[in-house]
Amino acid sequence: MAKCLMLSAIVLLACFFVPAVPAQDVKKNDRPDFFNNDQTKEVAQELAKRKWNNSPPVKSFYASQKSHAPAPRRDLTGIWDGTAEGGVEPWGPVEHRAIFPGRMQDDSAGHPDETDVENPLPFTAAGLEALKKNKPGVGVRAVPVANANDPVDNGSPPGFPRMLFYEMRVIELIQPKNQVILLDEFDQVWRHIWTDGRPLPNIDDVEPRFFGYSVGRWTDDYTFEADTVGVDDKTWLDNAGRPHSYEMRVHEIWHRVDYETIELTVTVDDPKYYSGKWNGLNKFVLHRLPDDFDMEEFIYNGVEATDYDQVVAGEAAKPGK
Amino acid sequence: MSGKVGAVVVMFVGLFAACVPLQAHHGNASFDVSKHPTVKGIVTEYVWANPHVYLKFDAKDENGQVQHWVVEASNPPDQTRQGWTKFSFKPGDEVELTMGSVARNGQPIGRFGFRGGIILNGKPFPPGAENAGDTGETVPKQ
Repeated sequence: MAKCLMLSAIVLLACFFVPAVPAQDVKKNDRPDFFNNDQTKEVAQELAKRKWNNSPPVKSFYASQKSHAPAPRRDLTGIWDGTAEGGVEPWGPVEHRAIFPGRMQDDSAGHPDETDVENPLPFTAAGLEALKKNKPGVGVRAVPVANANDPVDNGSPPGFPRMLFYEMRVIELIQPKNQVILLDEFDQVWRHIWTDGRPLPNIDDVEPRFFGYSVGRWTDDYTFEADTVGVDDKTWLDNAGRPHSYEMRVHEIWHRVDYETIELTVTVDDPKYYSGKWNGLNKFVLHRLPDDFDMEEFIYNGVEATDYDQVVAGEAAKPGK
Repeated sequence: MSGKVGAVVVMFVGLFAACVPLQAHHGNASFDVSKHPTVKGIVTEYVWANPHVYLKFDAKDENGQVQHWVVEASNPPDQTRQGWTKFSFKPGDEVELTMGSVARNGQPIGRFGFRGGIILNGKPFPPGAENAGDTGETVPKQ
């Protein structure tokens, strides 16, 4: 009897932990021998064997995937890789990087504004004034490390939409009742997008939040759209110090192209600081990772960061001999 | 009285020190990406941490003086993707590094190249690096 009870308990527990996944599951072992210039073949083979702390494959792996399954209806669930297509954007979101055409930041830092960058943003006078108060460590306006005032350096979370414009590596999307929840590998933060039909709050009635207030809805069986307001204007939009006002509204379109692919478009609407809407991401591709992909821990650690600043960055920033 | 004044000064200095923000660590402004010296030495410490992994090693300069080098890489997820682990280097290892860049101020501080440029105990690192080759700048990602 005891054995029977124990067996029942194990079965129940097993049922509880088995994720409800669509039939076309992606298996880690399905990964072929992938290789491109960013990773040696030997390293790729070793990483593919890992059970824990998985690292997403490089872009050429996804390019080799010829067969794509149909998209499930009204379903974004899964672990998604933004790394391969350039989700880590040190110089600002991929559509509006703060660099000059054909040049890297290294030979073009220290400019007072973003004149002549490859795809300029439509700053208003107030936006330009706010931009100049933000001192980034990268891009055409990069300042010496000791003079930067990036809030992330002080331990603030990146907030929204910077979480999508800066370190979009691996994310997991889950869909419990009435919500879509985004779990972010970077800094191990999450955000809720409510889908229960509630309206967005009046921003004057709520306190500012790092990740704002988000609501979403399916506009067709494969397209989920969300709007966010109430983002604290202390957060930056990106790594290059682009500002936003408290009046900013952000629109996201998550389009499930097929089982393995989401295209993400993120539009910033902030008339106070920008004379027109602009896309930070435009049909940015996220690739589906295996369901047994174990995210690495990637948490900004103030203690380790202080050590780094003292040992490396601080010493490198000192005046020359 | 002077002791009290001193205590207040110390307190304010302490408060100030506590309030000094962490320095931004993203930028390349302190580094010269056109210089790629190759330096050979012995590992003294390997730090696998956020926001940056870094390696300390001792090497003799042209005058025979020991230089305490610090060379930074990107963050652990980026380095994992390149085949590094928390256990890749240990004190006593012999390394020969071709830097991706070095500090402009002349301090023995560098950054690893994106790939290639690392000889660890006589062998190219990471596995397969002998087929990679270039030593372009590693751009820290955060």
